[in-house]
Amino acid sequence: MKYFRTLVLAALACVFAAASASAHAFLDHAVPAVGATVSGSPGEIELVFTQDIVPAFSGAEILVAGGGAVPSAKAAASAGNPAALRLRLGQALKSGVYIVNWHVVSVDTHRSSGSYKFTVAP
Amino acid sequence: MSLHPIIRLAGACAAAVLAGASPALAHTIVGDRLFPVTVTIDDPGVNDELALPTFATMTSANPDGSPGPISYNLGWGYGKTITADLGFSIGSQGYNWQKRPDAQGWSNIETQLKKVFYQNAAQEFIFAGAASYEWAHTGSPQSASLAPDPFSTITGKLFIGKGFGDASVDWLRPFAVTGEFDYSIPTATANSDGGLNPRTVAYGATLQYSLLYMNSHVQEVPDLFRRLIPAFEAVFTTPVSNIPPPDPSLFSPNTTTGVFGPSLYYIGNYFEVGVMAQIPVNSASGRNVGIAAIVDFFLDDIAPNSIGKPLFGPPQPRSGRY
Repeated sequence: MKYFRTLVLAALACVFAAASASAHAFLDHAVPAVGATVSGSPGEIELVFTQDIVPAFSGAEILVAGGGAVPSAKAAASAGNPAALRLRLGQALKSGVYIVNWHVVSVDTHRSSGSYKFTVAP
Repeated sequence: MSLHPIIRLAGACAAAVLAGASPALAHTIVGDRLFPVTVTIDDPGVNDELALPTFATMTSANPDGSPGPISYNLGWGYGKTITADLGFSIGSQGYNWQKRPDAQGWSNIETQLKKVFYQNAAQEFIFAGAASYEWAHTGSPQSASLAPDPFSTITGKLFIGKGFGDASVDWLRPFAVTGEFDYSIPTATANSDGGLNPRTVAYGATLQYSLLYMNSHVQEVPDLFRRLIPAFEAVFTTPVSNIPPPDPSLFSPNTTTGVFGPSLYYIGNYFEVGVMAQIPVNSASGRNVGIAAIVDFFLDDIAPNSIGKPLFGPPQPRSGRY
């Protein structure tokens, strides 16, 4: 048992010593939220990840469900939050279903990507 | 002093069942899907990680229906990627001890070479195979009160995983399934006491509902639940050949043993914690509901530029939507 205790403590020490490292970035939350229905067009999309990201190698786009891309600025880092990405929309969204596609590289170079839908209510 | 063979067998059966088909190791990411390390079976990928500890407890039943030994097990496993799709692992069911009567001993060491044959990021599908070898005489000596197998065992394994993120119906998308099939061949057909060592097949599966996936891709969930993956798991072992003759004082040597039950996993940034309630399928598998748990450290995330990356070549970019 003493052997195991030593190993467990050593492993925990490794974890805490590596606190500045990073990991795969998953989408933690977004505005508008994943799967949400909002009233009125948002001015921008904000994506907040579970890890800090590299904005230069990360991006996002917004599409009309079953349609084309919505004009937007290039996704950029969110001021004050190195785990967030902002996508400023080039036009107001009409009522309908929209798809956000994102891809990010976390600061340790792990890639992840995903997509989700939200709805703008009439 | 060694235990009576019946008690040793019951304890060994319980230890094997409660620990699952093999030392579980490796979480993997295919497309947008994270397949967690699961308690009962290995998942279908390779990765750099350290499972420490794994824990399991189960109360055995004696063939006459009376309560048998209460078994405990503390194991470990270490996985290292050689290339992005080829991994080596070493582990053991570790230290076993039991009450009623008291006994203890170390399990043998098991090594494994695993290859991912095919994966499709968009379909969240992965298929892999492995060969493992349990090395005799790497645990406690046979004079121990809970001695490991006195023979080596070679096992061929197949793994499969499928996430349903590509389903057209949103409520299906957080689901995923994994499966494992093993065929084990002892290197000795019989022991020095004349007892036969049967060949066995082990087979198990998990059904997962990933709130981690749901939160990121389908519907935002409350903060408390965002990193959870509830699942339902089962694993069974069946002797298939070289089966000992029936002994009225033992469970039938043809009996399939196994456990099933619900489990829950928490996926942190650098580690995972999982726990499962293990319900024995029959009295040869156990008497009461057992518990199995695992703490797994993601070395590919903790040390991505040193011990957490493949020995050769780049890490596998498993996401598929670029």
